[in-house]
Amino acid sequence: MSLPDSILAAELRVARPGASPELRARVLELAAWEPEPARRRLPELRLRRTALLLAPAALVAGLSVAVAGGIFGASSSPTTRAAPAPQVLRAVGGADRAAPVENKAFTPSAAAHGAAVAPSRTRAQQYEAELRLRVRDLSRMTKRALQLTRGFGGYVRSVDYGSGTEAGTAALVVRIPVGSVQAAIVRFSALGAIVEQHVSIRDVQPVIDARFRQLQALRKGIATLQQRLADPKLAAAERRLLQARLAEARARLVALQREQAQVQKRASFATVSLSLTSRRAAAAPARPGRVERALDHAGSILLHEFVVLVYVAVVGVPLLALALLLAGGERMRRRRATERLLASR
Amino acid sequence: MQTSFESAVEEHLDDVHAYLVYLTGDRAAAEDLTADTFEKACRLWKRYDPHRGSARTWLCQIARTTALDHFRAEARRRRREHVYHLREQAEPSVGTFGEGLSPTIESALAALSAGEREVIALRVLLDLDGESAARLLGISATACSTRLSRALKKLEDGVRGHVAA
Repeated sequence: MSLPDSILAAELRVARPGASPELRARVLELAAWEPEPARRRLPELRLRRTALLLAPAALVAGLSVAVAGGIFGASSSPTTRAAPAPQVLRAVGGADRAAPVENKAFTPSAAAHGAAVAPSRTRAQQYEAELRLRVRDLSRMTKRALQLTRGFGGYVRSVDYGSGTEAGTAALVVRIPVGSVQAAIVRFSALGAIVEQHVSIRDVQPVIDARFRQLQALRKGIATLQQRLADPKLAAAERRLLQARLAEARARLVALQREQAQVQKRASFATVSLSLTSRRAAAAPARPGRVERALDHAGSILLHEFVVLVYVAVVGVPLLALALLLAGGERMRRRRATERLLASR
Repeated sequence: MQTSFESAVEEHLDDVHAYLVYLTGDRAAAEDLTADTFEKACRLWKRYDPHRGSARTWLCQIARTTALDHFRAEARRRRREHVYHLREQAEPSVGTFGEGLSPTIESALAALSAGEREVIALRVLLDLDGESAARLLGISATACSTRLSRALKKLEDGVRGHVAA
């Protein structure tokens, strides 16, 4: 914009009011009391300059924290990830509320030899075992397992065999006489490497004992009924009633004997579930080195910092925008007020 | 190099005074406000940063704040005393806006608002550049230019009106 250079402007400049001698003297007297010289101060931090300084500083600080955390974290605690699958043998029992269940845990060394919990020789037990084995030749080992089952006097309940070009699995459920089950498990375990083994033993002796007492009572009751029916003075109506009760007791006796036989038979054979696989276990990932762990930790810390940053931004930006809006509004209001004030004079 | 406060006073006293005369339209008030301005400036001198503007602009900024405070105090006082200020339409006292200025221009200047006189003082009398004047007034350079054009036009119209009358 060019300066106003009209005659009027020139006249205003020429006639410019000057300070009176009194005012000059007054102000100069004030100036004679020289204020202390301007001290060397730190350069005034303005918004842009501050942001330019703070942004890299915050970045460096964040990276430093992450690197330091990564180094210290890596040296203080070994990594917990990717632990190799443990060859742990667990004995898990099929829980039964009525009967006590014996759960057995095996040490890895015992597992390696296929040692199993021996069934009781004095009590009836429901013995179930699960074996997961990794074998080299699936077909041969499956056949071998079947031979072993027959060799122990057992039988095969089900076979599920499937093999592919690289891997295959076979699931066998066999029944082994309970007296031979321990030896059978040892032999089965020798077919390959044990991956997992579960043994569940449920004591069914109380059930058998209770049923035995029921049978005894029934037999006694039947004998009593037969004695009463043998009486020739028995009235015809009562005889018919006693005969009906006798028939009912006999039927109940037969049913109970059948149940008892089933339980005893079930207890005389152990169920062994064999799972054979030729699939190689996934190679356990190598334990990461110190540098890798440090980088891992640093990355994790950086991620946390980023999350915090995002959170702050999400929460802070609207607040900052609001504050700026309010500040802008207040500034505008004051400017308008000043304009009105100057226009009114 | 940092100038001393005394040299700043000697160099810019007339500028600040002229600016305040135009802003207030009252010589006596302008004298008091000039003294107040330099008193404040004396206290704040150590905070003056020559890199952020000239001493004259800085002093004018203080003068403006001082004058605005004075105007506000006056307005409050009038409201408190229930005195309705009627703008004096009478002839202004001779030589309010300058030595040897024609009564016609004096009257025309007096008829302008303080805001209009202010921009004339800054751009014409003090010869401030558009950017500095705009920063001092807290407005954009374009708005400052517009305000100056309107003020000068109004002043010219006022002068013509008086001459015609």
